[in-house]
Amino acid sequence: MGEIHPTLSQCALVTAALKILLFPAYKSTDFEVHRNWLAITNSLPLWEWYYEKTSEWTLDYPPFFAYFEWIMSQVAKLVDPAMLKVYNLDYDSWQTIYFQRFTVIITELLLVYALQMFVDSSHGASKRAAQAAAISILLSPGLLIIDHIHFQYNGCMYGMLIASLVLARQRATLLWSGLAFAALLCMKHIYLYLAPAYFVFLLRAYCLAPRSFFRIQLLNCVKLGAGILAIFGTAFGPFALKGQIPQILSRLFPFSRGLCHAYWAPNVWAMYSFLDRVLIVLAPRLGLPVKASALNSVTRGLVGDTSFAVLPDVTPRVCFALTLAFQAIPLARLFFRKTIAWEDFIGAVTLCGYASFLFGWHVHEKAVLLVIIPFSLIALKDRRYLGAFRPLAVAGHVSLFPLLFTPAEFPIKTVYTLFWLLLFLMVFDRLAPASTRPRFFLFDRFSTLYITVSIPLIVYCSLVHGIVFGKSYEFLPLMFTSSYSAIGVVGSWLGFMVVYFTS
Amino acid sequence: MAKPSPSPHKPRRKAKQAAVASGSFVASSFGPVETMTRVPTFPLAALLWPARGSVSQWELLPLILMTAGLFRWAAGLWGYSGFEKPPMFGDYEAQRHWMEITTHLPISQWYFHDLQWWGLDYPPLTAYHSWICGKIGSLINPAWFALFSSRGSHDPTLKIFMRATVVVSEYLVYIPAVVIFVRRYSRLSGVATWSASLALVAILMQPGTILIDHVHFQYNTVMLGFVVASMSSMLAGRDLWAAVFFVAALGFKQMALYYAFSVFAYLLGSCLFPRLRLSHLMAIATVTVISFAILILPLAVGTLADAKRGIDALPDIDGPRPPLPLFPWLADHLDTEGSTYLVVEQLVQMIHRIFPFARGLFEDKVANFWCALNVVIKIKRYPAALLQRAALLATLASIIPPNLVLFFRPRKDLLPLAFAATAWGFFLFSYQVHEKSVLLPLAPMTLLLAGSHGLSKTTRAWVGFANILGCWTMFPLLRRVDLSVPYAVLTLLWAYLLGLPPTSLGVYFHDGGNTWTQWATLFIHGGFYLLMLFWHVLVQFVVPPPDKPDLWVVANVGVGAAGFSLCYLWCLWRLMMQADILPRSWLARKDKVKAQ
Repeated sequence: MGEIHPTLSQCALVTAALKILLFPAYKSTDFEVHRNWLAITNSLPLWEWYYEKTSEWTLDYPPFFAYFEWIMSQVAKLVDPAMLKVYNLDYDSWQTIYFQRFTVIITELLLVYALQMFVDSSHGASKRAAQAAAISILLSPGLLIIDHIHFQYNGCMYGMLIASLVLARQRATLLWSGLAFAALLCMKHIYLYLAPAYFVFLLRAYCLAPRSFFRIQLLNCVKLGAGILAIFGTAFGPFALKGQIPQILSRLFPFSRGLCHAYWAPNVWAMYSFLDRVLIVLAPRLGLPVKASALNSVTRGLVGDTSFAVLPDVTPRVCFALTLAFQAIPLARLFFRKTIAWEDFIGAVTLCGYASFLFGWHVHEKAVLLVIIPFSLIALKDRRYLGAFRPLAVAGHVSLFPLLFTPAEFPIKTVYTLFWLLLFLMVFDRLAPASTRPRFFLFDRFSTLYITVSIPLIVYCSLVHGIVFGKSYEFLPLMFTSSYSAIGVVGSWLGFMVVYFTS
Repeated sequence: MAKPSPSPHKPRRKAKQAAVASGSFVASSFGPVETMTRVPTFPLAALLWPARGSVSQWELLPLILMTAGLFRWAAGLWGYSGFEKPPMFGDYEAQRHWMEITTHLPISQWYFHDLQWWGLDYPPLTAYHSWICGKIGSLINPAWFALFSSRGSHDPTLKIFMRATVVVSEYLVYIPAVVIFVRRYSRLSGVATWSASLALVAILMQPGTILIDHVHFQYNTVMLGFVVASMSSMLAGRDLWAAVFFVAALGFKQMALYYAFSVFAYLLGSCLFPRLRLSHLMAIATVTVISFAILILPLAVGTLADAKRGIDALPDIDGPRPPLPLFPWLADHLDTEGSTYLVVEQLVQMIHRIFPFARGLFEDKVANFWCALNVVIKIKRYPAALLQRAALLATLASIIPPNLVLFFRPRKDLLPLAFAATAWGFFLFSYQVHEKSVLLPLAPMTLLLAGSHGLSKTTRAWVGFANILGCWTMFPLLRRVDLSVPYAVLTLLWAYLLGLPPTSLGVYFHDGGNTWTQWATLFIHGGFYLLMLFWHVLVQFVVPPPDKPDLWVVANVGVGAAGFSLCYLWCLWRLMMQADILPRSWLARKDKVKAQ
């Protein structure tokens, strides 16, 4: 069989055209963040990178990302040296914009490459489905909104993640999968959320004998351990020599931040806050005590400590415990399976992503890609997987809308997302094979109803609210969006848990 | 993105069906040249490859329209003509200013108000359109269109509103017209639905219209949309509607006159051949007159109503009114105090504003015959009257052949070719041509992609050549406001999608067909593409000599005019071939000579 059309490179080219046209679009403070990091890494000695604080956007990614910025800054020097001055705050000459936006497009080639690896690693009937899934990731509205408008480098890093996941498909490349993931952790520590799945998987499939839990494959353990040590050594070693590790850790893990991020990520805590808001109204009738001090904090949706008026407060410890508990459930199953299929591993990664997204402390709405992207790789396994994927695809992308609030980008984010949803829900629906097991409950109905509700919701949040209330009650559309999306993500999580445990 | 991502899936039922579909598509649209294509021959076909067979149009169409919209809106994020270029700004300010005056002034003053600052010089439908847009915009923010104080405003939110009016107007007029035209024309030519969808994407992604309307800022697609609707009505045999739509096009932008001869030739021809249909002819004439009447009715009635309320059309003028422009003798036959005179004055003023007879043969540098000739001999030395007559004669000489063909063979399948050839004639030889006018010949020529053999390599090569050359001649205009990036992106994207140079030479090589012709086409087109490329390098890196600061623009004009002349000849040639108007024996001989 020849190539499947369209090819990934064809799609990548056409989207690149759209992405270049988006150069003048809105860019968030993340643009300045990355410009500042270019400046820091280029103009300061290594030892000062994690201490520099001229800009409020201090370096808070692990060292590999800092090295990555350093490499880019070597090119940036030729484009516009002024962008590399640490004191040049909020500098955005057109050369800087072109350069930074271009680096996002160029580094995203890694994603294209990894997706091609994924397609090439699939065989037979599933190849066509793999191609569809790969294109859906390549064209993901999440990446378009976050990377190419809002501004970040997720495309490149999800490329590394996918490459690592694909390497796990064959026994011969298991080691490389683990090492690629270790390198990814040294780029961006948010992937720690997925680390438990990797740990359990590599332990079971690589470090222990296939037949018995009690026979340790010593050579493999040494190879993996040495490799990981080497990678972490390259990343953190230079800083460890100067005793800067505590400083780096305090930058990487700022526990002083609140439970909910500026906008509420659509997770359990968004529903919890929503419930709390409702209880404020109901409390007098139910005779519940209301903490007056908390009354105004959530409504503004600002960064800071979130306190609840009626429900008990949530501590980082609780979040951490809940996250680990819900990760442990699928991981236990992964560990005790007789043979681990690749899809089981991807499922476990996805469920780890779900658990940390749903229960984590200070989760950012952008983290939803941690769930969507691994899930996309297996969403076409059969119709039951697809049933769980659909509400996530809708909720996850709709929840990203508040990231872009400027009117000029409104048509882009809505039309592009609608385009993607229409196209891929249609294509996936035709490509997903029927399951060998019976459908288990009314999940299809739920997801259809759920998807339908999104339309009036978007209309209300983007148009009706502004006309009716103007600038007041600004938290309402945000709260509706995140509560709605939370229902979708939680529903899809429950659905996928059932699928995972019954397949 | 875009179109791009059609589903990489094969329908479950497919096997047999897909074979049938692709078989028919090969037979109908690619002709014998690319028999039994099992792989897509150009990237656009690859992107829509999975949609062959069982995917219904209603699934594909919304995706195509969304893609077209995304690219338009994204291109609109860039600057517009005259952005922060005082004192006069540009076309954007002109359109905004018309919204300002139509919403604030009584209708009788529209064509008279402060003509030095972008006085209204488009026909009434544009004025009404501006009035509607201005009313809606004023609801959002009255300051955008406040009289006088809003001049030269570059409020970023206003830009979004203005961009939105272009997109909405286009989706109300041009896009439905093109969708319906493509559907009718492809059916008429026996082209499969899937190929028609490819043509639709290619037509909607045409870089010229996006660059001028959505980036530079104008409303050409509204006028073009009415013209396409008129052609589409002709295809459906609804000649009366064709007349109505064409009047609407003329009423929106006088530039639609480029097509007037073809509309006239076709409608008249279809009343005479194959048999005389006098009542049909009368009906068309009546409907046309009524349409014109409706078009100017608001203006005429408004003038009378204003006069009754004591509002003067020229409030700034004390003493005697200035004489009528253009037709001063009319005043001798009319009672200058009567109300009829007011209406006549209004209409004459409108015509005077719309047709700037007093201006020169050409204004800016434009890639037509006269401007190119001016490089060789300074034609501005000759008296204006002589030049006007020369322009008239040359234009007539160029447009009579295609229109004679259309008149004697009023066949529906000939419409796009005849329209294109006529518009090329006007563009190359007529008076007061603007570089943006190249959109007029390009529009019907691009519609050829939806016709029989529309996606064949020969047609793609020529339609692509015309479009890319057209964009290239507009580059000096776009560069003035730093729009090189959207120019490069949209033009290269389109060239890539259709497999054209500079991204691929595939269109010039195919099995079968005349090798000699293929090489000649490659040689000629290749020469032009190399010149364009070389010119871009020059413009980018070499400063023109100080005594000839316009040298690069002049070079652009010369190359453009030569290339457009070839496009004119090609359209005319194809038209004559397709109309079977040439004797067979002659044709066979000529075929060898002609580089086609």
